[in-house]
Amino acid sequence: MAGAAPLVALARRAADSDIFYSFRRSPMTVAAAAMTLVFIVGAVFAPWLAPHDPFESVTVELLDAFTPPVWDARGDPRFLIGTDDQGRDVLSVIMYGSRISLMVGFAAVIFSMVLGVSLGVVSGYAGGFTDAVIMRLADVKLTLPGILVALMVDGIARAAMPRELHDALAIYVVIFAIGISGWPQYARVTRGATMVEKNKEYVAAARVIGLHPVTIMFRHVLPNVMGPVLVLATLGLALAIIAEATLSFLGVGVPATTPSLGTLIRIGNSFLFSGEWWITLFPSLALVLLALSVNLLGDWLRDALNPKLR
Amino acid sequence: MAEAGQPIVEVVGLARYFDVSKPWLARVLQGQPRLTLKAVDGIDFAIRRGETFSLVGESGCGKSTVARLIVGLHRPTRGHIRFDGVDLTALGTRAAQAPFRRRMQMIFQDPFASLNPRWRVRDIVAEPLRAFALVATGETVAGRVAELLTQVGLSANDGEKYPHEFSGGQRQRISIARALSGNPEFLVCDEPTSALDVSVQAQILNLMKDLQRRLGLTYLFISHNLAVIDHVSDRVGVMYLGRLCEVADAQSLFRRPRHPYTRLLLDTIPDLAMTGRARGPVAGEVPSPIAPPPGCAFHPRCPHAGERCRLEAPALLEHDGALIACHGVEEGRL
Repeated sequence: MAGAAPLVALARRAADSDIFYSFRRSPMTVAAAAMTLVFIVGAVFAPWLAPHDPFESVTVELLDAFTPPVWDARGDPRFLIGTDDQGRDVLSVIMYGSRISLMVGFAAVIFSMVLGVSLGVVSGYAGGFTDAVIMRLADVKLTLPGILVALMVDGIARAAMPRELHDALAIYVVIFAIGISGWPQYARVTRGATMVEKNKEYVAAARVIGLHPVTIMFRHVLPNVMGPVLVLATLGLALAIIAEATLSFLGVGVPATTPSLGTLIRIGNSFLFSGEWWITLFPSLALVLLALSVNLLGDWLRDALNPKLR
Repeated sequence: MAEAGQPIVEVVGLARYFDVSKPWLARVLQGQPRLTLKAVDGIDFAIRRGETFSLVGESGCGKSTVARLIVGLHRPTRGHIRFDGVDLTALGTRAAQAPFRRRMQMIFQDPFASLNPRWRVRDIVAEPLRAFALVATGETVAGRVAELLTQVGLSANDGEKYPHEFSGGQRQRISIARALSGNPEFLVCDEPTSALDVSVQAQILNLMKDLQRRLGLTYLFISHNLAVIDHVSDRVGVMYLGRLCEVADAQSLFRRPRHPYTRLLLDTIPDLAMTGRARGPVAGEVPSPIAPPPGCAFHPRCPHAGERCRLEAPALLEHDGALIACHGVEEGRL
């Protein structure tokens, strides 16, 4: 097939690349990537893969509530790791919950990355007064803990919107709240890299032909500063997932009707001392594994892209 | 188009100062004044169509700043730059300057920094074509890029590669192809060979001379390497601390240098015929351009300096067809 030839060549180049070599050489990274992949596949294809549909009221029986995992004597083979207080299969709920967690995580990271990178490139390229204003804004933002800002945003959104509207928009409010607290890191990293790149002669060459500064920033400088930003984004994904879980655990995140990992942990938490430990333990384990895998991937990416550590 | 011999670029009283003071707060707290670096401090010259005009001088004498001023990378503090009779400094907006920007291009010193590492060579070379909207369709862009690459001695297929796949000399060829893609008349070459091996330097210089003949280009050539200057130049301007001290045609400058600084520079060229003979060591260092010496800037290092040199800056005056800024030459002492 003629159309596949470039794809094959691309795959071969990727397989020969230094990055892939360093990937294969690190078993920890391969394991982390595999685990992340399991989570993503499980989350994306949850409607097809999950053993039960936790949102289908026809199949959810309150009689099944608090069924322990199968290895317990009271366990039920239909529910591998037990059921929660409403009789929903915990495994299925985790798969559906990871959907929300991953979605919010990715969206929040993309939001803070777009905002931070744009401000950072402008700041580094323009310099002077613009730079000072943007960087002092970032400093102010950095003095406020991320969770606090997220709580504030959520509080304002709750006060400003009628209840039904807030529930419908809750997930976007969470994305905004987490995203807005993450941008200064991206802005700083991008600004530093931009200040290095803008003095290189290829930028001068672009200025000589009279290109608009915005064109130069986004077509010339941006591709050359994305390396460290991608590392930051990978590490930031784990942080965003944890932040979402924290908000949901505190009850200010996504509404209980669309449970995320954090909501599940919160619900299970109330039954922890009455002996129904599996309701909170398994979502917590899932959260830890997911955050750890993504973090390990980010660490590896940071080392693999750092020429000094090769 | 004006006829050959007419000036294509004229520089009148050009100056560029840089503010090198510490940040405002540090300055106020430590009670320090503003500091100004006079990189270029009032220079005049004209470049005739079809010739190679070179600027030579030690590091930090302002020759690269002149190059960057002419192509518009810096705004002049004072003075005028005329291109084909039009004062570029009077044209404020990018749109007004665009027709002139197309006609002048720059070749940079470091071929490892002057090509965007994330772009394919064909896009790098085609960028001026696209920026100036010189060609309409993708087909003609590809054709023009292939033509340009062959013109500088590369293969048309090299357009698919990235800059890191090339050696320094090849990269400089790519830079030249890019500079030529907008059909410029005037090229500013800022030390185009100083980052290259000696054998490659000659190839690049010969390529540039060849292109100049074929395309009728005018060059402003910046270098600190006198051998390179001798090889390419028609006329040479010698710069010292932001000022011109001698402008003469290359032959007479190298055969009969007039200004004491030019003589000092020429004395430093290693020469096979001089092997074993004692050569006069270069006395002193270039003074700081932040606090240049009063009078003639060269007087602290000049063996012929008199009282007048310490007080009064010499003007660039004509002596036997050359322009020289020296009281000694003016008074007939040298």
